[in-house]
Amino acid sequence: MTIMELLVWLENTSIANAIRTIPWLYPAFETGHYIGLSLLVGGIMLIDLRVLGMARALPLKSMIGLLPFVWAGFIINVITGSLLFIYGATSFGTNGAFLLKMSFMVLAGLNALAFDVAVRRSGGSWVSADRPPAFVKGFATASLVFWLCVVTTGRWMAYI
Amino acid sequence: MAFLEWLQTTWVAELVATSLWGYPLFETIHSLGMAMMIGSLGLINLRVLGYKPELPLLGMRQLLPLAWLGFTLNAVSGTLLFTSDAVYFFAKWTLRIKLILVMLGGLNAALLGRSVFREAAAGAAPAPVAAGTKVIAFLSLVFWLGAVCFGRLIAYEQ
Repeated sequence: MTIMELLVWLENTSIANAIRTIPWLYPAFETGHYIGLSLLVGGIMLIDLRVLGMARALPLKSMIGLLPFVWAGFIINVITGSLLFIYGATSFGTNGAFLLKMSFMVLAGLNALAFDVAVRRSGGSWVSADRPPAFVKGFATASLVFWLCVVTTGRWMAYI
Repeated sequence: MAFLEWLQTTWVAELVATSLWGYPLFETIHSLGMAMMIGSLGLINLRVLGYKPELPLLGMRQLLPLAWLGFTLNAVSGTLLFTSDAVYFFAKWTLRIKLILVMLGGLNAALLGRSVFREAAAGAAPAPVAAGTKVIAFLSLVFWLGAVCFGRLIAYEQ
C-alpha cells in the first residue's frame, strides 16, 4: 500500500465520511483543537519561561508540575488533529505546511525527550535549588521555538 | 455601517486583505497570543480556585505581564483581521458574542486583580480566598474559554 492509497483509504473511512456529512463536527473538532492548543502551548510556555527566569516568585518545582495540563492538551490535539486530518487526508497529507508542522512536532518531542533524560542524569537537584543549568535553559529555548513553529505552520496549512 | 465601510478601505485593511501573508500572519499571532493569555490567566484563576496552593497568591502577579502581552497581541491582530472585511465580520453573531465575552472577561480580570492582589498585598496573612472571589475566577475561565470557542466558530457562521 502506497502512502497515497493509505490517505485515500483514510479519507473514505466511515469516520471521515461522518465528519464530512454532519455539518457541525468539523468546527467542533477545530474548536477542541484550539482549546488543546491553549492548554498545550500555554502550559509549555509557562514552564519554559519560568525555567528561563520569568516569575521567580513561583516555585520552579510547582511550575514543572503543570506538565499534566500540557499532556492533556497534547492528547486532545492528537485526537482532534487526527480526526481533522482524515477529513481531507489526501489534501492535508500532501500539504507542505502540514509536513513541516509534523517535522517540528518530532523536533519538539525529541527535545522534550532529551530534556527529560538530561534532567534524570543530572539528578534534578537544580529544580529545588531553582538554578537551572545552561543546558536546561537551552532546551527551554528550543522548546519555545519549536512549538511556535508548530503553531505557525499549523495555521498556515489553510493557506497553502 | 458607514464607519465599517470606511474601515475596510483603509490602506491597513487593504494590506491585510490582499497581501499573501497578511491574513495568515495575523491569524498566527492571534493563536500565539491566545495561548499566552489563556495559559497565564488560566493558571491565575485555577490558583484562586484552590489549585496548587503552594504557589504564592501574590506571586501570581508576576504572570500578569505575559497575560497583558497576549491580550495586546490579540487586540492588535484581532483588530487588523477585523478591518480586512469589517462589514462582513460585524454581521456575524459569533463575532458579536465573542466580543461580549472578551469585554466580560476583561471586566472580570480587573475585578479579580482588585480583590485578589490588592487584598493579598494589604494583609500579610494569605487568608483563604473569599467565595465571591472564587466565583469571579470561575466566571473568568468560562468567559475566556467561551471567547476561544466563539472565535473559532466565526469562520463557520454562514
